[in-house]
Parts: sequence; C-alpha cells; structure tokens
Amino acid sequence: MNSLRERAFLNRLDELRGTMPARPHDARAIAALAANPGCARRAVMDAAGVDKDRAARHVGFPAPFGQSQFAITRGNVFESLVKENGCAELLRLLRELLGLSVAQVGYRDVESVGSHLRHSHTRALIDRAAREDDGTAVFYDHPLFSLEIAGHTSYLEPDVVAFQIGGRFHIVEIKSFGMIDGQAEPDKVAAAARQAAVYVLALRTLMADLGHDPERVSHDVVLVCPENFANRPTAALVDVRKQLSVLGRQLTRMTRVEYLLEGLPDDLTFDLAPGEDGVPTRSADELTQALLQVPARYAPDCLSTCDMCMFCRHEARACGSTDLLGRQIRDQLGGVSGMHEALGLAEGTREAVEGQEEIARLLRLADRLREESLR
Amino acid sequence: MSDSLDALERRIAGLRAEVRRAVKAKENSLARSLRGELRRAEQAWDAAISSEAPTPAREPETSLLPIREQVHQALAMLGVPTSAKLIVAVNDAFFSRELRGSQLTSLRRDEERSFRGDPYARPYYLCAALTDRLSPARGLLADSTWPAESRVLGPLSPRVDFLTSTMRIAEHLARLAEPPAGAVRLLSRMAQNIPGAVEGFAPADPATAIRAARAELEVHRATDAAQRAEVAARATRQLPDAERLFGVTAMNTLRGAC
Amino acid sequence: MSALTALARLRAVRDGVAQRITTVRHCHISDQPLVLIPLKLAGEAAAPLAAMVGTDPGHPRLLVVPQPRNRDLRFAFAAGLAEVLLPYIEGFEKSTETVERRGGEPYERCLDAPQILVPNRSAASFTGLLGRSTRFRRAEGPYPVHPSVPLLGRWLTYFADRSQQPGSSVLLAATEALSLHWATGQSGLEDANLAALLGWIDPPPGMSGHRAAEEAEDPLLWPPAGPTTDPGFDNEVLAPAIRAYEEAPTDRAVDRVSQALRTQLDPTWRLMWRAVDLLRSLPEGSRVKDRWEIDRGSFTRFVERIAEGSPPQARRDGAVGAAARLAGLERARASYDVQRAHDDPLLMAEYRLTGEAFAGTVIAADPEHSEGEGRSRKLRPLITVRTGDPVRLTPGTVVGSPDRRGHAAEIVEAVDGEITLKITKGMGRGRTPAPGSVPEPGERVSYTSLIDDFQSSAALPGPEQTPWTHGGPPEEYEPGDDDAQEEWL
Ligand code: SF4
Repeated sequence: MNSLRERAFLNRLDELRGTMPARPHDARAIAALAANPGCARRAVMDAAGVDKDRAARHVGFPAPFGQSQFAITRGNVFESLVKENGCAELLRLLRELLGLSVAQVGYRDVESVGSHLRHSHTRALIDRAAREDDGTAVFYDHPLFSLEIAGHTSYLEPDVVAFQIGGRFHIVEIKSFGMIDGQAEPDKVAAAARQAAVYVLALRTLMADLGHDPERVSHDVVLVCPENFANRPTAALVDVRKQLSVLGRQLTRMTRVEYLLEGLPDDLTFDLAPGEDGVPTRSADELTQALLQVPARYAPDCLSTCDMCMFCRHEARACGSTDLLGRQIRDQLGGVSGMHEALGLAEGTREAVEGQEEIARLLRLADRLREESLR
Repeated sequence: MSDSLDALERRIAGLRAEVRRAVKAKENSLARSLRGELRRAEQAWDAAISSEAPTPAREPETSLLPIREQVHQALAMLGVPTSAKLIVAVNDAFFSRELRGSQLTSLRRDEERSFRGDPYARPYYLCAALTDRLSPARGLLADSTWPAESRVLGPLSPRVDFLTSTMRIAEHLARLAEPPAGAVRLLSRMAQNIPGAVEGFAPADPATAIRAARAELEVHRATDAAQRAEVAARATRQLPDAERLFGVTAMNTLRGAC
Repeated sequence: MSALTALARLRAVRDGVAQRITTVRHCHISDQPLVLIPLKLAGEAAAPLAAMVGTDPGHPRLLVVPQPRNRDLRFAFAAGLAEVLLPYIEGFEKSTETVERRGGEPYERCLDAPQILVPNRSAASFTGLLGRSTRFRRAEGPYPVHPSVPLLGRWLTYFADRSQQPGSSVLLAATEALSLHWATGQSGLEDANLAALLGWIDPPPGMSGHRAAEEAEDPLLWPPAGPTTDPGFDNEVLAPAIRAYEEAPTDRAVDRVSQALRTQLDPTWRLMWRAVDLLRSLPEGSRVKDRWEIDRGSFTRFVERIAEGSPPQARRDGAVGAAARLAGLERARASYDVQRAHDDPLLMAEYRLTGEAFAGTVIAADPEHSEGEGRSRKLRPLITVRTGDPVRLTPGTVVGSPDRRGHAAEIVEAVDGEITLKITKGMGRGRTPAPGSVPEPGERVSYTSLIDDFQSSAALPGPEQTPWTHGGPPEEYEPGDDDAQEEWL
C-alpha cells in the first residue's frame, strides 16, 4: 500500500469509528481477532477500533460476558505468589524447565519507572539483554510491549519475560486454572496459548525493530499453573507456533480490510460519541442500520468470542439462516444457507436450483425416511 | 490415638486380608460373612474415632504492640527489605499472629508524612527500598536505620534478600526449643525454592536450609554488593533526606507510594 | 450429526418446539435416581461452593460452604455429601442375584444399582474432581478428615469415570441425555444450557420453544445450572454474603450464604426432575436393560473392591494409559451406536441414508435353497427384497436384521433396488428352515451391515480382569502420605 492510499484508508477507518478514541486491544482481544476470520463486520469494526461492547449495548444486544470477582482475585493472588520474593517460585520452575545456572537470578521490575516511560524502558532493557551486556536480568517483570494494528498502537502487558543469558527470550504466562495430575482443561490451555502468542509476536516485532534476530524469542512459552488442588505452581512449555501463524495471517488480513470498505456507503459511521449523560447521542436505530450495512458471518462460536454476538444472532434468526444451527449442520445441509429453502427442498415444495440437485435428493430421502420411521 | 482404635485397626487389616483370601479361593459365602464383620469393625472404628475428644484449638496470643512495632520486629529479624506478605507470614509464624495485610497498605505513606512533618523525631522509620532508578520498589518495606546498601536494590538483590531471609528464619527456628508448626511450614515453603535446601515435601531442617541458602548466596554476594554500593552511592549523592528514605516519586505520579 | 438430525433441527425452528430424533429411550432411568447439582467457586479448580442433592423432588438437601477457601469447611461439605450419597449407594448393595456363567464360577450381582443425575458434562467432570480431591484423604494422621470423606471420593471417582463409558447410565448428564433424544432449533453449543434445552423440548403453554429458550438464557430468570455460577450473582450477591461470614461467622451469616445459593439451585433442581419425567415418558429401547445389567455388574464389582479393602483408584498420569483407554472407549462407542440403531428405526434410518442399511418388502423367497453336495450340503435360503433405499452394500457383505436376533445373511446381488440375500444363520439345523425363520414374500424386513458382538456373546469379563473403566485401577496403587496431606486450597 503506498503512503497516500494508506493515509486515505486510515482516514476512512477514523470516520467509521467517529469521534471516539480508538479502543485499544489487549492481548485477549487481539487473540480473538482470529476467532472468526470470515466475518467482515467484525474485521471492519476491529480495524477501525470501534468499541464493540458499547455498540452492542447501545443497539440493545449486550454481550453476556462477565467475570466473577472470585476468578479475578484468584488470578491476582496466584500471580503474586509466583512472583513474590524476586520470582522465587518461578526461578525454581525455570531452573528445572530451562536448566538455568545458579548464577542466573537477576530480576528487574520495569515498573520502577513512571508508567509513561515503561514502554521505552522495556525497549532499552530488552536491547541491553540482547546485546549481552553485563547486568542483564533473567526476569523482566511488568514489561510493556506495543503492537501496531491497522494504524493504531495497542499496548500489551505480558506477565513476565524470562531471558536466559546467552540464549533466548521466553514469554511466561501465569494462569490460575489447575493442572491436575498433569492435565489441564484443553480449552483453557488453548486460550492461554493464543494469548501468549500475541506477546511472542510483539516481542519479536520489538527485536526486529532493534535490529536483533526475532527468532531469539522462543515459540515455546512457559505456562505456569497451580498444581493439583494446592497453590504450588508448576510449569510446562507450550509450543505456540500454530497460534503465531494464525495470528500473523489475521493481522495481515486486517490491513487488507480496505477491500471490504469498498462497497460501503461513504457516510457510513459507527460513531458512539456520548452526550452529557454518557449515552451515545446517535439513535440506536441509526446505529443498527449502519451495522447492518456490513455483512456478518454469524456462527454459534461467536457466543463466546465476540461482543456483537447477540446482535448478529438476532439478525441470523430474522433472516432464517442455517448459520444459527452451527457449522456441522450447515455442512450437512450442503451449504444451503436458508432454513426455509432447506426445508422446502426436503419436503419437495421447492425446486432445486442448479448445483443443489444432489443435496436436494439427499434431503428428500432423509425426509421420507424420517416420516417412515416415525409412523 | 487410643488403644482401642489401634486394636480395631489391626482387626480391620486382618479382616481385609481374610476377605481377599476368601475371594481368591472363590469361597463366596465365607467372603460375604467376612465382609459383614469387616463392615461392623469399620463402624466401630468410626464410632470410636468420633468420640475421641478433639484437641483444643490454641488461643491466639494477643499482642499489645502497635502495628508499626510488629512490622519492625519482623524486619529486625529478617534484616532485608521485605514484602508485606512475608512480614505478615513471619509475624504469624513467630510473633503475635494478629497482623493483617490490609493494615500495612498505608503504612509507608504514613511514615513518610510523619518524617516530612518532623524529620528524625522517631528512632526509626519504616521506609522504602530504592530501585536502581532510585524510585521506591513496589511493596517492599525497610528500616531507616539500616545502612544505605541494605536499603537499595540491584538486579540480584531480590534473590539475595530471599536467600537471606530464609536463612534468618531458619536460624530463628533453630533457636526455639519447640518450633511452631506454622513457622516450620513457612521455612519449608521457602526452602523448596532453594536447591538442596529441603527434600521433596518433607518439613525443612533448619541446618540444611541454612547450608543450602548460604551456598547459593556465595554465588551472588560479590556482584550484588558491588551493584548495591553503586546505587547507594548515587542515592546518597543525589537525594535529599526524605527521598533517600522514601524514594523519588515525582515522575511517578500514577502510582501509590506502597 | 446426520442430515436427519439437521432436518429435525430445521423442523424444530419452524414448529417452535424440539423434535424427537429417536423413537425410544436409549438410557436407563432409575425408579429412584439421585439428583446432584454441584456448584463451584469461580476461578478455582475444585472448590465446592454448594450442592443440592437428593432422591425426593420435594425434599432436596442443600449443602453449602460459607467460605469456599476454608479447607475445614470444604471437608465438612464433603462429609455432608457423604451423608446423603453413601446411604443411597449402600441401599443397593444388599439384594443380589447369582449369575451363572458358561465356563466360569457363578458370581453375585446387585439387583439394582444407584444412578446419579447431574445437569451437564461440566458437572460430571467436577464430580470427578471432587472425587480426586477427597479419595486419598485419611481419617488419621496430620490432616485427618471424617472417615466417610475418602470413601465418598472413591465413589465419586467411580461414577465420573464410569460415565465416560458409552452406554453406561450410572451417572448421566441431563443435557446429554435429553440431546440424545431431541433436536432443538438452536445450536449444539446452546443446548448445553439445561434451561434453554428444556425450553425447546417442553415450552410453557402458549410460548414457543424459541421464546422459552431465550428467556432461559437470562441468568436473572434462570440461573445457570452450574457448576460455575453467574458472574453477576457472584459479584452482587455471593461476595457480600461471604464477606459478611468472614467478618462474623454466625449462623445468620451462614443462612445468608445458604439463602443466596438456594436461589441459584432451586430452579435447576426443578428442571432436573422435569428432565427425569420427560425421559421417563419415552418407551425404553429393548437393549437398555442389557446395558444396565452391565452397569449393575460394574457397580457390584466396585462394591466388592471397597469391601476387600483395595486402595483408592490411582492418580491418572496423562499420556500412557490414555491411548489404550481411548481405544477401548472407541470400541465401546461403536458397539453402543450399533445397539441403538438396532433398537430404533429412526436411528437405523441414518444408516439407510448412507446406504449401510436398507428396508423393504420381500418379493421372492426360496426357503429350501441349499449349497454344496453330500455331507457338506448346507441349507442356504434365498430371499429377494425390493427397496427404495440407496443401498451401498456389495455382494459378499454379511448383514444382520434388527428385527431378528441371531439371524444373519449375506448379500448375493444388488441391482436396481432389488437385493438378493442368502440366509446363513438363525434357520435351524434341519433340512428345511425352522418355521418363521425365513421372511415370506410380502413381509417388511430390514438389514444392515452394522453388526455387533453383543448378538453372539454377552459374556462379561471376570471380576479379576475388570478394566479400570469399570471401576478398578490396572495396578495396585498405594497412596502415600503426600496424597493424604495434599493441600486443597
Ligand atoms: S458476532 Fe457478529 S460481528 Fe462478531 S464475529 Fe460473529 S458475526 Fe461477526
């Protein structure tokens, strides 16, 4: 993209977002960008930095996401346990996992500088470590990375970065879900891996920026969890190569939302500028109409990954889309997208159009067999 | 445990063996009746164990010391900058057991206010430990009477201080005729993070823990001392009194003092 | 997921009510099941918060942990659960029957077995975790617990492990049992919400399933069935109640926590019994009894293991055993699928759709057809069946018939919807077939290449060779002190 076009593109995104500042993404949000890559609505809103949660609430379809304070507290308590006494617990784990020598114990709290300096301090410390100056630490606590997403900078806070002197950097991800008899819930491990991949990517970007080899950031992240039912931490290396490539692909796609914008009306905007009472001044109807201009691709998975899910589900229902029932069902229906259409084909009240003959035959047979067996 | 329980347990073990033998020999009806006896023995055991008087809970000794004195006592024992959490744990294990973490949150700020209002009026202040940027280290408390080198941190200092406090706790434990269980647990937990300081999950032996901590300490001591001396010199040179104790926070407006 | 189920889901959307996807019930429902709804503290692996439990819909027992981070209170909770669960289980241990075995010693089997119903799969897994965190405890030693606690742990582990065995009914997750029999107008993901699922299956009068399900998604109207509680409830109701208990652990404070949790459990309790009624209303499939018999056998062997003083089930260490176990489960799953298809024309229809089965009318029969000469002469009756199904069975394929146990045939030829079969089993040893053993012209028949061993051998493994999926570990495991003292924070 040449710079003039890029400027125009970024301007267009700003218009879409309206007067509100771009919503910064945290690692979880960035990891979720890859959740439903086929959806244009989401791609456009994310690229423009629209606050989807707020938009969904304004149009009357708040997302059903909430976090229990017990879970939050538990997470914080566990993290501080892992880090207390100069990361004593973490050190034990890394000595076992990475074979650190006894001398490697250095600890630096990046937060020892003001918050406005944290990012540049992180840069400086990582640079120093990569050049193998002396005085390097093994642990960098509270580092602050950045990642550019469609023209906007998002700041990211990994739990800890571990550096093995003369070796590689490892992202350390501290999670409070239990590892019981060597097994953790696969969903949770997968989510942690996606999130850690974002940090790996950010650190690699930083390394490349500083002129170091990005590959010195390991694709094996250190996942630290409580063991069994106690609080004692245990750790495992998790390979996030796959998550990294999915993420990389999605981030490149986002800079290509340009082509998604092409068909959209020039005055389209999702502006959420608040009035005096803090409520967006635009009417909910107007915003709804604007949202409907960008095609969505709803799937039941959205219910756990996207703030717009209730809105999009409602829309999918209203137009009788087979997407509602899940991908498996849609596949069984040979990709027929309308529920009415599929039922019509099955019950013979509708003629198959070209290309539908095979699925129509199958559905009619299924219908006959069902009737016959229920008789 | 009483004799009757012991006897019952022996009987249960014997019956279990007999049941297994009978099952192996396919003597089904014998196995059934043995199982019945086993069940009755277990019930008797249940009844016996629940009638044993529970050991009375130890009354928490109350301390009349004000909070800052209690914190000071713990710091004096450890001798290094320490987190509120460890101060509470040490207090719990060895002293009054009535300190709570929430009571420590504003302590450093109060001390700083008092010092600025009337410098050196108190014999000691609970102050901050300074990072190499001369800012107050997060969550650590120190004693203003310690030498400057002990109140500043280099990159190795968190580890050095952890090893030191483990040794101090072990030394203190070794001096007690009846080491309190909580203190042994605290030492064991810390020792588990030091190579060779404890075996598996067994309770830590103070002497072993001290030896292991000292061995690792030897590796870091010289470098740490040099780094600390450099920071301390800088602090002494550049900072006025109050900042030397409580750190430079001017550029650090977004964070609380402790 | 087949095209038939997809179709049923589409109908459910159009008609506003869930559609049956079976003609009979494929799981056992006990006359006296025990319903267990466990709740856990958010963010913790296995911190029980509360449970509603019991066998009488009118009298649930509510157990709560007023401060879920307190270890003693947790074990008191476990002891409370044991007080309900153990007598229930023991009630089934007494009456037994003697089962004769061909080529083996007769053995004892309980006449009936306990059945635990939980709301969903997560509740079943949580039951397993509770078992894991209690079965190694000891009544003596440094951290003593009530003697019933380790026993409870072994039983919970047994039920949770066994519930992974396809076709077992000793522990059922209500959402799974219901989804096995009904297709809703929403996705499978949304079916995991018990209230929404029941909203589709049995909407209140005057309300569509769709509306009922939507209402059921509102945690204020229908609290989640657990084990995780609604975050809004945690933050607004539960947290202040727990804090009040911490500040002053009085009876009133306990009451306050209990009352709060009761509001979250009561609705699910009622839903669970509605699920039981709905499942009961379905006629039972003919092989459900056989599978329950296997459950009874498994239960009996576990009772014996405990009586013999065997150690608790081993800790499971991830990788090694897992592969073998998975293979075993896969075989069991295949056999269970075949059994259900044989029991249920609607499920068999799925195989007819894919050409692995067919149904039709006999148009010709040669009951006295035979093959070979002299002494090796064998009776091989032939029949020809006309069907409209898209048969994909090649000559030589062995087939069985769901309507006739012990009957087997081989495909001779299949052209243009006319299938010729040679009957190879089930017509007797005479020169002419036993009466009724060869289908006559005009008769409706169905055949399938899906056949399961259960038809030939129903032999159970001897108690000594019990695979651990049936309750016993493969090797003796002596739990050490570490196991008994393991923290449970
Ligand atoms: S919820 Fe809507 S906007 Fe979000 S990913 Fe799904 S379809 Fe796209």
